[in-house]
Order: sequence, then structure tokens, then C-alpha cells
Amino acid sequence: MDEIEFSSTGSGWGPRSEVLAVGWGNSCETVRWLLPRGLLNSCPAGVASCPASSCPFPSPRSPRLTLLESVLLLGPRPTTGGMEFSELIRTGRAQAKLLRGPEAPPLRGTLCVTGHHLLLSPGPQGTSDLWLLLLRSVDSIEKRVSGDSGTITLRCKDLRVLQLDIEGVEATLDIARSIEALSSLESVITSFPFFYRPKGLRLGDAWHFHPPERYYKRVARETNAWRLSEVNEDFSLCLSYPRAVIVPRAVDDDALARCARFRQGGRFPVLSYHHAPSGTVLLRSSQPLTGPQKRRCAEDEELLRAVLAGARPGAPGFILDTRSAQAAKQARVTGGGTEAKAAYPGWKRLHRPLERGRPLQESFVRLVEACGDLEQSMDGWLSQLEACHWLAHVKEALSTACLAARGVEREEACVLVHGAEGTDSTLLVTSLAQLILDPLSRTMTGFQELVEREWIQAGHPFQLRCAHSAFSHACPKHEAPTFLLFLDCVWQLGRQFPLSLEFGEGLLLALFEHAYASPFGTFLCSSEKERCLCEVRTRTHSLWSGLNQPKVRRKLRNPLYVPNPLAIWPSVEPQSLRLWQGLFLRWIRPPEPSQVAWEKVWQRLASKEKTEGCEPTSKPQL
Amino acid sequence: MASAPTSKYNSHSLENESIKRTSRDGVNRDLSEAVPRLPGETRITDKEVIYICPFNGPIKGRVYITNYRLYLRSLETDSALILDVPLGVISRIEKMGGATSRGENSYGLDITCKDMRNLRFALKQEGHSRRDMFEILTRYAFPLAHSLPNIGILNEEKFNVDGWMVYNPVEEYRRQGLPNHHWRITFINKCYELCDTYPALLVVPYRASDDDLRRVATFRSRNRIPVLSWIHPENKTVIVRCSQPLVGMSGKRNKDDEKYLDVIRETNRQISKLTIYDARPNVNAVANKATGGGYESDDAYHNTELFFLDIHNIHVMRESLKKVKDIVYPNVEESHWLSSLESTHWLEHIKLVLTGAIQVADKVSSGKSSVLVHCSDGWDRTAQLTSLAMLMLDSFYRSIEGFEILVQKEWISFGHKFASRIGHGDKNHADADRSPIFLQFIDCVWQMSKQFPTAFEFNERFLITILDHLYSCRFGTFLYNCESAREKQKVTERTVSLWSLINSNKDKYKNPFYTKEINRVLYPVASMRHLELWVNYYIRWNPRIKQQQPNPVEQRYVELLALRDEYIQRLEELQLASSAKLSDPSTSPSGPSQMMPHVHTHF
Repeated sequence: MDEIEFSSTGSGWGPRSEVLAVGWGNSCETVRWLLPRGLLNSCPAGVASCPASSCPFPSPRSPRLTLLESVLLLGPRPTTGGMEFSELIRTGRAQAKLLRGPEAPPLRGTLCVTGHHLLLSPGPQGTSDLWLLLLRSVDSIEKRVSGDSGTITLRCKDLRVLQLDIEGVEATLDIARSIEALSSLESVITSFPFFYRPKGLRLGDAWHFHPPERYYKRVARETNAWRLSEVNEDFSLCLSYPRAVIVPRAVDDDALARCARFRQGGRFPVLSYHHAPSGTVLLRSSQPLTGPQKRRCAEDEELLRAVLAGARPGAPGFILDTRSAQAAKQARVTGGGTEAKAAYPGWKRLHRPLERGRPLQESFVRLVEACGDLEQSMDGWLSQLEACHWLAHVKEALSTACLAARGVEREEACVLVHGAEGTDSTLLVTSLAQLILDPLSRTMTGFQELVEREWIQAGHPFQLRCAHSAFSHACPKHEAPTFLLFLDCVWQLGRQFPLSLEFGEGLLLALFEHAYASPFGTFLCSSEKERCLCEVRTRTHSLWSGLNQPKVRRKLRNPLYVPNPLAIWPSVEPQSLRLWQGLFLRWIRPPEPSQVAWEKVWQRLASKEKTEGCEPTSKPQL
Repeated sequence: MASAPTSKYNSHSLENESIKRTSRDGVNRDLSEAVPRLPGETRITDKEVIYICPFNGPIKGRVYITNYRLYLRSLETDSALILDVPLGVISRIEKMGGATSRGENSYGLDITCKDMRNLRFALKQEGHSRRDMFEILTRYAFPLAHSLPNIGILNEEKFNVDGWMVYNPVEEYRRQGLPNHHWRITFINKCYELCDTYPALLVVPYRASDDDLRRVATFRSRNRIPVLSWIHPENKTVIVRCSQPLVGMSGKRNKDDEKYLDVIRETNRQISKLTIYDARPNVNAVANKATGGGYESDDAYHNTELFFLDIHNIHVMRESLKKVKDIVYPNVEESHWLSSLESTHWLEHIKLVLTGAIQVADKVSSGKSSVLVHCSDGWDRTAQLTSLAMLMLDSFYRSIEGFEILVQKEWISFGHKFASRIGHGDKNHADADRSPIFLQFIDCVWQMSKQFPTAFEFNERFLITILDHLYSCRFGTFLYNCESAREKQKVTERTVSLWSLINSNKDKYKNPFYTKEINRVLYPVASMRHLELWVNYYIRWNPRIKQQQPNPVEQRYVELLALRDEYIQRLEELQLASSAKLSDPSTSPSGPSQMMPHVHTHF
């Protein structure tokens, strides 16, 4: 691959990497152009040595533009099906003014559209800040022209709203069309993560870090009742499962294959979490394909029997269906359904309906609308917030997770969670239940592993669910903010248990941003199979390695963290749940007080670490 | 397993924890003794009752009544429940059930408290035990009606610091740089002859003579003339407080008052106008003319600008808080929580008070204009506005002692009618004079501390402790309506100050994230989106809202505090070392003294 080699060549590309590496951070939208002085005067080495070095700007007019244009060059290089990005770019640049909300001062300068970015370079007399936006993060675009200038409003997936005032009607329309075309490209392998080569990170780092194999090692230390099966090695059993899954030792691969045929999408019951203190487990799957004929599957029944047999003797089983009893019954018409009582002795079924899909997306859209509606009268806010139902969804998700966790911990039962496909609400419940129960999942590493294992590897279709955020005018097809709902629930946990999570709000915000638009490959595609096909693991950088760089990781930590070995049971009463202001009002509220405060807290703790490093003090035991 | 998912998720037996936590501070509790007792506290009686806990159902216990508190200890083995309620908190005692009433636990007492809860006890019908308990409680909870001394007077607690020394008006004004060329300290009210609800010591324009003041007093409601509350250390603009002018229906004018305001205006040469903030809604201000009050009209007061701040009166606030209690106690209105909360309008009132204070602070700081604040009598909304604005403007008031001084000065000395608003020791629970004005102020402070987590030296516990003792009557701090009454009752000699309790154990009330900043003005965001219900106060009795155990959180805070002290000490050592190197021993410590400009005083 030319591009990889090309973009990782020598020090000449250092500056670009630097910009991008800083650019994706949470709050940093303006980045400092860190450039060695000598480079300013020559065309960067990378451009000169690149295979297709038809550098269109042989004689730079100003050093800054040279650089810009070379970045511009980098983007459009890859071709997709004979189409160059450059074909989508109507115009190279225009003079523009950028307004970034009420707090930040406007920026003026030259606007450039590249294959993956929108860049604003301040004029020669301006400051040395370059502003950069990943085009993928644009959710909707609105253009208006009047006289000889135009205005483009960009609503981003991270809920930011930006306004560009551009000189020239033609330029405005061209730029708008370019952004529109480039931001909605669906091809995975031409997306930015395939070209992003940050300094200090190596390809392939951290990708090996989290797969189920690693979790299995932990389970194997705790119990012998489970094994790691590679029955899905070639994704033939289940398109959305990873290659390896953890299953009862007593069930062989052939039986698994038959189970898979009995479950929607082949998602047969697999281990989600082993609760060592009680010796019971949390499982997840999709709905059984009982259908109108009430089909049964001996292997599926055997599998669940083996689960109970592998747990402590006499352990009951609970099947937690995330649909209402009515909906589960109705699913039979279309071939789905739920486990018949008689077929699964020892298992008891519970229904806890969780909203997903469109109602959830609509709730999200309404909430963002309400948050952005600054005109609305002050007395309407709380009832408006209530009418969005977002907090009701948070409450339902948390209380269902509590129910699952309580089954495992208090009733010492095995709990199988599923809804229909088992890729949305199911994952929400199993991952939250683990956070409640498992102290390890509340650490920085443990939480990243949890997200990787229970969301990414477990086949939550990120590519579909996060295709658009709350601003898109397109009618939602597969979009749903299930993952955001998960992050919100985690935030509520962190608020109620300020000491128990090792990570702070920053990590949750970063995950939200990256799930919707990211220079990293972690959230690309909808399943492991797709990621294999696209070679995501070998050709893109992992978000985890980005987040775990010491400089970044420190900022994501919760300075108050003290390991808590107990389960953390959240209060789900409505008065205990709050709007996640840090996310929903992030670009609306003045960032000043709390952010500045946390910065200070962080500094204080950082200095603590330093002294602890050189002179070990006894850490208080709690 | 199959039960409702919203049931208790408290794994750490929080309920007992939380109830135990309500025990009062600074009390020596000997386990062998049944009831904790303060010095001077005497035991009156004890009875076996059934406490009808709204959260856990009936619990059999023994209740001990002293002249200060009602203390209940569970007699059931599986419950460690303890209730410790100062009698001052009681607002109303009702008998429930009659001789004929049937059903379990339907005969007993229902006690309404001022701190957002009710207590219900079931008693046996035989043996007059209810009548006894009712009479004893009534007698000691409402000493006013029984000509008994207030518990605060009987309290013989000793602390190693004297909270009465915290506020010294002369020192506080000197800290502000007063007197100066434009402002003087007057003792005209030494015997409370000019105004019986004002403090003895007042700061007034240098150019206004005592005779002028007396003439102005005739034109201001209850003689509460405009006096200085705060002066800006740099631009020398001032916040002045007073009551409404007595304009009346006929639109009376008073040349002395007009001249007086002009003199105030002239102390600031930067802006040609004096800004007047009338805290009331416009219509209320007009309506007040009917009872002889009113506001400063344009034609009479030429160089002034008048704004109304739309804050409602004490009755509206009282009703609003009542509605809050309805939706939070004993059970939280769950199905439509947010819209129910909205319908109480409590947060909306908080918003208006904060918005008003922000305007005052901004006018003084950025607008460089002197400001006059009043409402009707100038002891409720005016106190809220001036004290909150001062809190925003002057970082000194954000320290523990500074805040105590602020409360002592703007609220206690300037005659916020604590006795009437709270109804200390008074059985008349429906008194229209009662209103949670001070609570609303503390709520505003809490909202600010939420938005500026590093700006305040004190923590939430400090604010809750103040509110607890606002009702408890254990300390003399909030007793009586004004300074003259307190002086007459010799409060400082006969009672202990709340600040003694707090200042003798300051660490407990410290915010570990506090970062001292001089001269930073805080403007909180007073939008509904950024205000929240103070759940830890208003819903604190509900065990279900308890989240992580308070102990580890507090312990972690204490660790952080210790850490901070360590760093400060290390920093000082380093500073000392470097200053020693520079052979300059006089390292000037930064502190509140920076606020003090060097002016010669007139004493």
C-alpha cells in the first residue's frame, strides 16, 4: 500500500501527524501547528518522494499554504472504484469566517476541503492556529447565500454546531457540496482511519489487547466449566460473533452449530461474565427461532442445561427478555419467539421491555433539539426534558441491568439476556450489569476491555447505529444511540459513585465522539467479520492505543478513584438521575467553571503521583 | 428476583447508615448511656412507641425526650435505627386517630418538621401515654407559648473557639477599606433609635450628616435608610441596601431622600447614574403604594435608573417549598418527576434570585455603577441579593470565616427576621410570617458551589449544618429578629454561637478542591438547564437516594485535604528557602489583607 508507506515516511510528515494526533482530542479543536522551522521553505519530503508525485503546487505562494496543500494532497490520494476524492472536491479553498458558538472567538482565514478534513488556516497576520475538522463528523449541513457571500452551518455528530461565513456564492455552494459528498461516503476502506498515521503509535498495537481469549484466561482461572471455542473461526456460524467465544465445556462444536441455527443471526448463548463469588454466569444470545410452530432445539436446551450444571448445584436460571411478553409472543409470527417454559427446566423467564431502534433515536433527537433551543421560555425546560423520555430510557436501562446483576449476585442464579437480535439492548444490559458487579471492569483497562468485548466484538453494529447522530435530516434507518445510552448510564454510575470508577467523564466523551466519527479504526464496521474483510486491524490504528498514551490516559482518569471491591448498586429513582450536561450541553454551556476545576483537580493529583513515585508513601486502605 | 426493579439497590445497608448519620455533631456519645446529651440538656421522659417509618414500615422503639431533642432507638434486633431530632425542628404536632379508631398503628402522633420530613409515632391507647407525650413535646418544642427559656439559653457547651468573635463590623468594614474619603462609619444607631432593625454601626456617605440621615429615615419603610453593604476595592462603586420609599398613593416626595441618593451617586464619578434594583415584580411595587410604600420614580429621582427583578414575596416562596415537600416526602413523585418539580416553581424562584444577584454584581463590577437594592422592607429579598452579589464579587466571603461574616452581617445584623421566618419555639405553624427565605439563599449558594467546585472553601456539609441549626435552636446565632432584640436578650453572653461548633472542627467542613483566588468575580449560569434540585438536602431522608456511602467519599476528601496541606507546607518551605537565599526575610503573605487599601481612618 502506497499510502501507508507514503504517509509514514520520515520526519517530513511529522508535522501532519502532530496536528492530527492533537486534533482528535476532546476539547481541542484548534491545534497548534508544530512545525520545524526549516520545513517551511521547502515542499515537504513526503510529497516529493511519493510515488504519484504530481505535486500540483510546485511553487508555493506562502509557506503555510504549501503545508495546507500538502495535507490536501494526502487526503485525496487513494482511489475507490476508479473515483478519486478530488472529483468530489469542487473547490480547493475560499476565504471564510468560522463561528464556534457563543464562547469561542471567531476565526478568519483560508478554508480548504481535503479528502477527509475541513481546514481553516488563519491569514498571514493571524495567529498560528490551524483549525481542523474531520469531515466524517459532520452530521448535517445547511447552506444559505445572500449577496456575494454565503453561510454554511455544520452540525456535527458530537453535537457541536459550527457556522462558516464564506466569501463568494460559488465558493459557498462548491464547498457545501464537497462537504456533503465527502462526509457521507459509506466506504469503510477509504475512510480516514486507513490513512491516519499518528506519530508515536505503531500499527497493530493494542489490537491484540482485548479479544475474548484474554477474558477467557481470567474465566479459566476461576472455573473449569467453560471453554474457548473457535467454532466460529470462519464466521460461518454467526456473522456477528467474533472468531472465538466462551461456551460450556460440556457442549461440543457440532452442538453449537445446531444451536446457532436455532438462534436469530446464529447468536447462540455465550458467556458474557463469570461472577466468581457466586459461581454463576451472565450469558447473552439472540431470540430462539421458535416460530409459529413452536419449534424446539435439543442442543439449545442442552446448552442451557449445561450452564446450570456448571454453576453451583441447584442454581436457578433466569432468562431476561428485553422485550415485553406481548412483543416476544408476537415475534413468533416472524419466526422468532422466546424459550418455552417446558423445554428449559430450571429457567424462568422475565420480561423487561427496553426501547431501542427508532424510538430511542427519536428520543435522542428530541433531547438534542431541546438542549439547543436556547429561545425556549425558562418554565418549559423541565417538562420538555421529561417529554424527551431520554432519562426514562436511562432509568429503564439501569434498572434492567440491576435486575440482571441482582440475579447473579443476590439470587446466585445464571442469567441469560436477550431481546430479538441480541446486538443492542442485550449488550446494554450485560455490559452495565458487569460494571455494577465487577470491580475490574471499573478500572481504566477493564472498562476498555469491556467495551471491546461486550460491544465491538459482540457485534453491536456501530457502522449502522452511529451512521448519523441527532442532527441528520435523513430519515433514520438503522441509527440508534444505544451505545450513547450505555455511556450515559455509566456516567450516572460515576456520578453516584464518585470514587468507584477509575476513569472520568473524559473517557466517556471520547468514546462517544469516536463511536460516531474517528481517525481510529476501533469503531469501524458492524462486526468482526467485516473488520477482517477490511483488514481494519492491520491497516488502522486502535483507539485504545491512542487513549492509552500516557499523556492522554492521565487526563481520562478519575482523580478520586479508590478501588471498591463491592458491587455498586445505582439508585434509579428519577431524582437520582441527571441530564448528562457534560455531553448534551457541552457546546452550549460556557466550558469554564467545571472544566477548569477538573483541570485543577487533575493537576493536583498529578503532582501527588510524582511525589509518590519518588518517595513511596503508605496508601490508605479503604 | 421478579419484584419491581426499582426497589432498594442499597447493598451496603445504607439506610441504617444514613439515619445514624443524622446524629448531631459534637456530641459525646457514650454507648452505655441511652441518649446523647449536651451539657445543660436534661431528660424529661421516655416512652415505648412504634415509629412508623415511611420507608421501612413500623419499627418498635423507645423514644427519649429531653428539653433539646427527641431521640428514638429501635428495640428490634434487626434494626439499628436511631432518630435524633432537635425539638426546634418541630413545626407542628398533631394527634392522629381517636379512641374509636381501629386498625394497626392508627392511634398516635404526627409531627411535622421544618426540615422537609414528618415523623409518625403510634402509641398504645391505654394509660394516657399519647396525652403525656403530646403535652411534653408541645411544651418543650414551643417554649415561647409556655414562657420557658429557649434551649439555646440553657446550652452549656464549651468550644475552644468563640464564634461570637467571628464578626466584628469595624474590622469587616476596615477590610473593605472603610472608612475612606467618601464613606464614614456612624454610630447614630448606637441605641437603635434611628432604626430598631438595623445594626448599631452603619456606613453612610461622608457628605450626609446625621441629621440628614434622620430625615431620610422618615421616608423609608421602617426607617431602613440606604446604607453601604460593600464597596468595590478598585473602582469604588458600592452596593447600598435599604427599604422601599414611602411614596404612597399620592406620590409623595422627599427632598432629603432624593438628595441623599444623589450624594451616594456622587461617590462614584465613573457613571452619571445610580442604579436602583427593586427586587419585586413591577406590579407588586405599584401595589405597595396602596399601603404607603412604592418605588423611586423617574421624575423625583433624576439621576437614577430603576430595574425590577421580579422576585416574588415570602408567601409565594413558602407555598413553593410546600409543593416541593409534597413531591419529595415521604415518597418521591416518580412518574412525572421533572414536570412535578417544574410545577413547584422552586427552581424558577432560585433562578430569579440568582439572576437578580448576577445583575447587581455585574453592574458594580463591569458596569462600574453604584447600586441601591431594596424590596419592601429590605430584610428578605434585599438580603438575598446583596449577600449573593457580595459572594460573587468578593472571594473573601467564599472562605469559611468569610461566609460566616457574610451571614452575620447581611442577614443577622441587618435584621432578617429569623425568629418570625422560622418560627423559633413558636407553635403557630400557620403563621403567614414564616418563609424559607434563608434556605433559598443557602440553596443559591449551593448552586454556585456546584458550578464553581473550586471557588468555595466550604463543602455541602457546611451548608447543611447551617440549615440544621437554623432550626435546632441549640445555638444563639439565628435566634431573634434583629440586633437590638439580641442585645436586649444578651444572646452573645447567654448562648453559644454556631460558628464555635464549626470553627472548632473546620476540617470537616472544608472543600478539598478549594483554590484561593483573589478578586475573581463568579458569574454562575442562572439558566434552568444548569440549576438542579438539591437532592442531598431536600430528599436526604429518603434512603433510596443515598448513593455511595458517604464515609469513603468524606474520607477521600480528608486525604486530599491532608495532601493539600502537605503541599502548601512544602511550598512554604521552598519559599522560605529561596527567600533566605535572597536574604530577604520579609516574604509578604498573600491573603485577605491584600484587599485592604491603605487609607487613614477617622477613628
